Order: sequence, then C-alpha cells, then structure tokens
Amino acid sequence: MEEKKFYLTKEGLERIEKEYKALKELKLAKTKGESPKVLHSEDLNPEYLAFQEDMDFLGLRIIELENIIKNSELIRLPRKEKQNIVDLGAQVTVEVDGQKDEFTLVGSLEANPSLGKISDESPVGKALLGRKVGEAVIVSSPIQTTYKIKKVKYHLS
Amino acid sequence: MEKTLNFLIEVGKLKRMPRRGWVLRGIKNPETIAAHTFRMTMMSWILCCKKKLNLNKVIKMCLIHDICEVCAGDTTPYDNILPKDRRQWKRVFDKWPRLSKKQKEENFLKKYKKEHEGLKKLIVSLPSDTRKEIYGLWNDYEKGLTPEGKFVRQLDRIENLLQALEYWKKEKKFAIGPWWIQIEELIDNPVLLEFMDALDKKFHSKPKK
Repeated sequence: MEEKKFYLTKEGLERIEKEYKALKELKLAKTKGESPKVLHSEDLNPEYLAFQEDMDFLGLRIIELENIIKNSELIRLPRKEKQNIVDLGAQVTVEVDGQKDEFTLVGSLEANPSLGKISDESPVGKALLGRKVGEAVIVSSPIQTTYKIKKVKYHLS
Repeated sequence: MEKTLNFLIEVGKLKRMPRRGWVLRGIKNPETIAAHTFRMTMMSWILCCKKKLNLNKVIKMCLIHDICEVCAGDTTPYDNILPKDRRQWKRVFDKWPRLSKKQKEENFLKKYKKEHEGLKKLIVSLPSDTRKEIYGLWNDYEKGLTPEGKFVRQLDRIENLLQALEYWKKEKKFAIGPWWIQIEELIDNPVLLEFMDALDKKFHSKPKK
C-alpha cells in the first residue's frame, strides 16, 4: 500500500523536525534515568509531561514524526499558468452569502481555522481544491453554501 | 491543601456560569460551561482513536479547556459585531461572521491574551507541576499544537453543534445554518466527520411516514 504523503510548508516541516529532535532527546534522557532539560522549560510542551507518564506514547509519537518527515513533501509554488487555481498553500479570497472571507489552504498538520488556515481534508478545503478564480463552489451539508472564488494568491517561500 | 481547595471552589463556579452564546440568543435555562465540558469529555473518551491519541491527555485537556473562563469570561465570535439595538441581533446571528485574515489573527491574539491572563490568575497557587501541566495542556488546545490538541479543538465545536441542534429542534429560536457552515470549515478528523453525518441524519432527515 502506498504511504500517505504529508504536505507541509517549510515552516511546518521545521516545527516537526524540532519536535522530533526534542522528543528523541527526551527519550534518551529517560532511558538514562536523567531529568530532561525540556521539562524545566517555562514554555513547556504538554506532550513532554504526558510522555513522562507514558513512555509507550513517547515511542509512538517519535515513530509517527519519523513517518511524517520521511513522507513529507514541501508545498511549492505552482507554475505561473496554474496560479489562479486553488492548491495547497494558496491564500483564497471568497465571497460567501454576500460577505468576504480569506483562507489559506494547508495540510491537516498545519491547519488552524482560528487563524484562517483551513485543512485540505475539511469539507470546504476539499471542495475548494483544484477550483479556479471566478468559479462558484457549492458545499452541501444540511445547509447549502456557495463559495465564490474571487482571488487566489501564493506567498510561499 | 487550602490553596487546592480554593482553586476547586473557583473552578466550581463553572457549574453556575451559563454559556454566553445561548444567553445572547434568549435560550431559557441554558447549559452552563461545566455542562458543556462534561459532555465534551464524555465524547472525547468514546470518539477518541485510542491507538493514535493519548486518551489520558485528551481527557485532561477537555476538563481544563474552558477553566480560564472563571476569570476571563465566555466569548463568542459575535462579540465585536453585535449592534447596540438588540432587535438587530437576530439578523446578525443568521450569518456566520466573515473576517479578513488580519482580523482573524487580531481576534485570536486578543482572546488568547485575555484567557491566558485569566488562567494564570486561576492556577497561580497550585503546585508547580500541576500548574505547568494545566498551562501546557491549555496552550496545546488553544494553538492545536499536537494531534490531541487538534482533536479536542474540533471536538469542542462538535459538542457545541450537538447542543445547538438540540436547542434548535426544541425551540426553533435561531438559524442553524451558521453552525454547519462553521463546522464544514473546521473539521477534518475522520471520526468527527462521520459523527457529523450522524448528526445530519438524526436532526435533519424527514421522519418516515
């Protein structure tokens, strides 16, 4: 079976690599019976505390991160003629019910709808993917909503 | 132990604090923040994929996700756009508020700062380890940093949708559209997407004759 690809921005991949490195250090320190440095940090990632209690999950998360890094693919700027099409990394301006909204379409790992980062695996993300400026996309949950695509921009590094 | 007791008395206030969104919509005897937390935690236990997510962490995260509201109060996405004239509110609630990327970032930061201050005040007297753990879990939930944080954040919205559907079916006092529109942009967890289908069937399908 083909392994799942993880599409990430450069910043997203860097964040995952940083977490992977920290967790490997945590595991090594735990194995040696030391008190890991990361546990004394003020901006403590709760994951580290959770892993204090459960080493099995620490191992599983390390494997999961390894898998993400191994199967990651950087989101790249599309060719110029395709830059009016919604793809991963696109900043999309839409009109919904007479109101303007802005989303950035990202992979699930980087999604944060409060900041306008919509997952490509959400119903709206899926519906917008591959559609062009000027198109009207209908999302049918119990309520039918039309997203008119007004603008597509890419700000990828 | 006295400080722990004081913390628990403060957190207990959530049992009497009604959720603001329902108060604004005129729902009689609306659920409290603690009632929302109770069902959300129950949902997390049942719907969490135990092979992929740390259930212990998920349950703790659900329990603490709204405790900052004891000090910071409850906020809704409509707070900045409600007109003074209450008669206009229904019109505003009929639509999901749309914002620019910049406005979303500003609102997120404003809410985050307010709740962060509230949480710090609430947990200041707890033992250092517990304080760090609660703060870390809350920060993860707020920013969706880990798979557990992302799951609980989505679950929070799904519990809210279920409650909205229950009030909507009973009282028909507000439009249900904005909840569905919001949720279609937020949810990408496969189990929660399946749960959304179940909600759709339960609350929107016409009764069989």
